[in-house]
Amino acid sequence: MTAPHSADQPLDDLDQAILDQLAAVLTRLDPPPPDLDDRVRLVLALDDVDRDVARLREEHLVGAVRGTERTRTLTFDAESRTVMITIVDRPDGLVRIDGWLAPGAAVRVELRHPAPDPSQTVESDASGRFVLDGVPHGLAQVVVHPARGEHAPQVVTPALTL
Amino acid sequence: MSNVPVDRAGASLDRAARLGERLERARAGDRDALDEVVRELNPLLWRVARAQGLALEEAADVVQTTWLELVRGLHTIRSSSALTAWLVTTTRRESWRVRGLTQRQTPHDAATLESSPDPDPGPAELLLSEERDRALWQHVARLPERCRALLRIVAHVDRPDYTVVAEALGMPRGSIGPTRGRCLAKLREMLAADSTWSPT
Repeated sequence: MTAPHSADQPLDDLDQAILDQLAAVLTRLDPPPPDLDDRVRLVLALDDVDRDVARLREEHLVGAVRGTERTRTLTFDAESRTVMITIVDRPDGLVRIDGWLAPGAAVRVELRHPAPDPSQTVESDASGRFVLDGVPHGLAQVVVHPARGEHAPQVVTPALTL
Repeated sequence: MSNVPVDRAGASLDRAARLGERLERARAGDRDALDEVVRELNPLLWRVARAQGLALEEAADVVQTTWLELVRGLHTIRSSSALTAWLVTTTRRESWRVRGLTQRQTPHDAATLESSPDPDPGPAELLLSEERDRALWQHVARLPERCRALLRIVAHVDRPDYTVVAEALGMPRGSIGPTRGRCLAKLREMLAADSTWSPT
């Protein structure tokens, strides 16, 4: 006779119940960000597959400056470029983004938001600096387009919560 | 509680079949189907990334990068089991890459302290309001680390995918699979002996 809790028996409904309970407990203890599904949806909505995905290398929280401003610096590395952005909370509830591309180039930089909000687009200067000001809080993704005539993929960051 | 599903194993099989069907539609270019696959499997990807010791923001990025990679390779993935295994493998590889980058750049960053894969017992007691949840968590904490690592991931996987997920995690084939396995058998034995735990 086999013991009731033998390792060799097939999974039954009680095993299933234990594992389901464990999944619920793990989610309670270490929940994914509430907007994780939305972030994935935002980045997957870009149809172009010729992309160079930038990965987060470091994040610095500079903290509350003068009481009302919070500043974060994020660095993303892609194969072709590094994208560094500083996100400053403005006192009026909007956000300013100071960005820098390396290697520097005058290119189109797009900030995408979830549909139906339109993208914001600016041009970087020759040294790769750009500013996006008056940006609302929420999800956004930075897309760096190749220079005109340049045969290079777009550089895309993951979706960020501003 | 009275409204407990009576046939959980059957429900799990249904979930796997549904996932396979959505994968099929996603491959044909159906965005809504892809969204549903994302919603279904994001908890698993999150758990895998966190188990690799990533901080919150790093783990969120790895999950996104993994899905972007998936869209590029979607045409090569033919079944829901293959999808789950592919996602687990890619999430781990992406996590290693990010961890390598952050450790080289910021060796003493607070992020590495935050990233202990198991929350310590203090917060768990506070966050789990139900006695049966606290009981389960205490018993899980008594299992060997290898068992905890396995069950943490397997809990988020449809049961027919056990074997492929174990392989994707680099665990020996015999340690899980279609049978209950030693880790779950041990946990079940401890729970059965605990009067503060009940299955529902």
